[in-house]
Amino acid sequence: MRLMQVEPGDMESIARAREALEQISMHASLSAAARETLAAAALAMRDATHDAETLNRIIADASRAIEAAMRGTLEDAVRATSVQASERRSPSNRASLPHAVRQPQRDEPLPADADRTLLRDFVTEAREFADEAQAALLALESDPDDADAVNTVFRAFHTIKGTAAFLGLDRIKVLAHHAESLLERIRKGAAQCAGVHADLALRSVDLLRALLDAVDAGLDGAPVRLPDGYDVLLEQLAAPETATAGRALSDGVAGPRRDDAREMPSAAAREMPSSGSRPRTPERDAKNTVRVRTDRLDRLIDLVGELVIAQSMLAQDEAMRAGGHHGLSRIIAHAGKLTRELHDLSMSLRMVPLKGTFLKLARQVRDLGQKTGKQVELVVDGAETEIDRHMVDAIADPLMHMVRNAVDHGIESPAEREALGKPRTGVIRVSASHAGGSVVVELSDDGRGLDRERITRKAMDAGLIAPDHALTEREAFELIFAPGFSTAQAVTDVSGRGVGLDVVRRNIEALRGRVDIESAPGQGTRFLLRLPLTLAVTDGMLIRVGAERYIVPTAHIQMSFRPERGMLSTVVGRGELVMLRGELLPVVRLHRLFGVEGAVTDPTAALLMIVGDSQRRTALLVDELLGQQQVVAKPLGSGIDAVPGISGGAILGDGRVGLILDVGAVVTIARHTPTTEHATHVSRSVA
Amino acid sequence: MTTTAIPTPATASERRRAGKYLTFFLAGEEYALEILAVNEIIGVQPITRVPRTPPYVRGVINLRGKVISIVDLRAKFGLEPATVAETVIIVVQVHGVPMGVLVDRVSEVVSIAEGDVEETPSFGADVETDYLLGIGKVNGRVRLLLDIERVLSTQDICQMPSIADLQSE
Repeated sequence: MRLMQVEPGDMESIARAREALEQISMHASLSAAARETLAAAALAMRDATHDAETLNRIIADASRAIEAAMRGTLEDAVRATSVQASERRSPSNRASLPHAVRQPQRDEPLPADADRTLLRDFVTEAREFADEAQAALLALESDPDDADAVNTVFRAFHTIKGTAAFLGLDRIKVLAHHAESLLERIRKGAAQCAGVHADLALRSVDLLRALLDAVDAGLDGAPVRLPDGYDVLLEQLAAPETATAGRALSDGVAGPRRDDAREMPSAAAREMPSSGSRPRTPERDAKNTVRVRTDRLDRLIDLVGELVIAQSMLAQDEAMRAGGHHGLSRIIAHAGKLTRELHDLSMSLRMVPLKGTFLKLARQVRDLGQKTGKQVELVVDGAETEIDRHMVDAIADPLMHMVRNAVDHGIESPAEREALGKPRTGVIRVSASHAGGSVVVELSDDGRGLDRERITRKAMDAGLIAPDHALTEREAFELIFAPGFSTAQAVTDVSGRGVGLDVVRRNIEALRGRVDIESAPGQGTRFLLRLPLTLAVTDGMLIRVGAERYIVPTAHIQMSFRPERGMLSTVVGRGELVMLRGELLPVVRLHRLFGVEGAVTDPTAALLMIVGDSQRRTALLVDELLGQQQVVAKPLGSGIDAVPGISGGAILGDGRVGLILDVGAVVTIARHTPTTEHATHVSRSVA
Repeated sequence: MTTTAIPTPATASERRRAGKYLTFFLAGEEYALEILAVNEIIGVQPITRVPRTPPYVRGVINLRGKVISIVDLRAKFGLEPATVAETVIIVVQVHGVPMGVLVDRVSEVVSIAEGDVEETPSFGADVETDYLLGIGKVNGRVRLLLDIERVLSTQDICQMPSIADLQSE
């Protein structure tokens, strides 16, 4: 096959050549790699700024690739373009690949002629490939014979290699090339994807990410830093059998055999039997997806949110409510239905499955298991549960933290477990599901559970509670969320520095979610995270206090009722309590907290709203419930610093701004004012 | 790709003070702020009070779907509260975020040349002048040129100098 030579200004032939390339690149008889190479070439030709020489070179590269592909030697196809590319960028790198980068410069700028848009796309895409490769590698650990998974990793590195070569990113190309060679050997059965090889492959993924980060930073003008360990890893990749880093140390065996694998700490993710018996290799569904910039998506969702409000303002307009405009009302009602549908649809655009987050956890469990010498398995369920993209990012850290805690504090060492009659391998379960408009993420382990005694002792040592203070089980568990609390006996590399669950709780509450904890000694601990589906829309209850209106997130409301005189008691003149089903709860007068004038001050003429989670319940005194409403939460604007007790604002149906109550903060404020301290004291003596 | 370029705030001394200014009245005195900082002028609308904020924060309003905060300049400058309701909110851009400023009434847009601007004289420790770019004198009228970014991004201003003080100089 021969492609034409083109003149610089001859846009028509360029366009024709590009079309031809694009067509060929879609030809099914070619392998995926060849198709990708051609597609990349076609993409590059779109950039009209190339001079004739560059264009001809691209075309020459492409035609070489086609020829090679037709001969059926795929490998050559990519090599043809890679070598071309490296010659083009840096003539000195002409020698064989590993030697060419022996002495690379530490920092270097991006190639001056690099197409930034292409580079950015590449970074995004390559990161996805890295995630996929890592997922597949972890799956391989539990089933080293999974040929699909090996292929996925191979394909990932292979594609990255091709594109990196095309873009002149030599370091990435060289790394990908070596990783690919390693995978090739595994693929052909010359090596097992376990032990040293698995470790090297995973470290290649890590290094690839670091390289991508460096390119990303380079795009913003920073010099492209060479990540630490690049040279070392390349050498080890070239001769995997001699590698002694990572787990090879703990094995003491180079080139592990199949039966060793059982003895090694394994932390592969496997799906629960209910959701498929085999680990599924991630499939790319490129054809049916469109990549959209997130800021555009966010803007769209914002606009739709405003449309919903505008629509409801229209529907509630005086003129409409007065009646007499039947035709118009019908149209408005119809528009309202469409608006709601549009709203639901636009919200779903930003929903992503939790899978990615869970995969990261699997990797973390694996690494932590190795570090601590424990055998841990992560069982994942409901990874397809979808949640707002912003939420995914926001819960990643808290989840990681909790997993780290579970491995470090929860799971016992294999010997200890054996002595207790438990299986040597501990199990950490993470599952997600939708429940009543929120997402519930559950994280449990079958480790030693929370030690109430030790927690209490530790808290006394740290001065968090008074000595000889008897705590209920619930109160004791609550302590592990206190700032500066850690029960780890030794400060390890992994945890025990006392920066801990308090941050987790704060983060989750900032997302308008909550954390519950259950634990049984010797049987393990269970954390229950309840999160709203999205941060953008909150289901709220509109309440009135005096002339002011507030929105209370429905997720936090347990019940509302008008109290009778006999249920209320006052302590030391100020602290108020309400007795509800045998439990005494502190009463927070919202009008007093927020300084609202003209509110109902007699509780028996107002309402008490019970808010909070099972462990920290509080009664809020409000005048009236005005009804439920979905609101789009917005920040309060600059000039207003974080207001304690208020988490944001929302535009109400009448166009005014309503303030959203931060229930967690209100409960905390209530518990830290002196009046309620009396209250807790009394409640204890009564109980 | 659309990016909104936000000019980095320069300090009062290095900023060029010549240019167009929007002038407004506050307790009988005329102030001016750079027209470039002004987004729009809107009528007063229902303001939602935000509890536990300083007294000069009047609250928040809905500006076409955006929640923006409203600062009462009289309260901020320690002036008497208005006897009649204010009529105008000037929406300004501070560090890229819109904010509303409640004033008595808007006067006019004037061009002020560098030569029309005088340095702010010192009034002693009680009176703060950091928030002034200078004193503008055009057509015999004296206006206090406000560094609005500084005014709005600082917590408290004890007292602003009054034009009466200036004229007694």
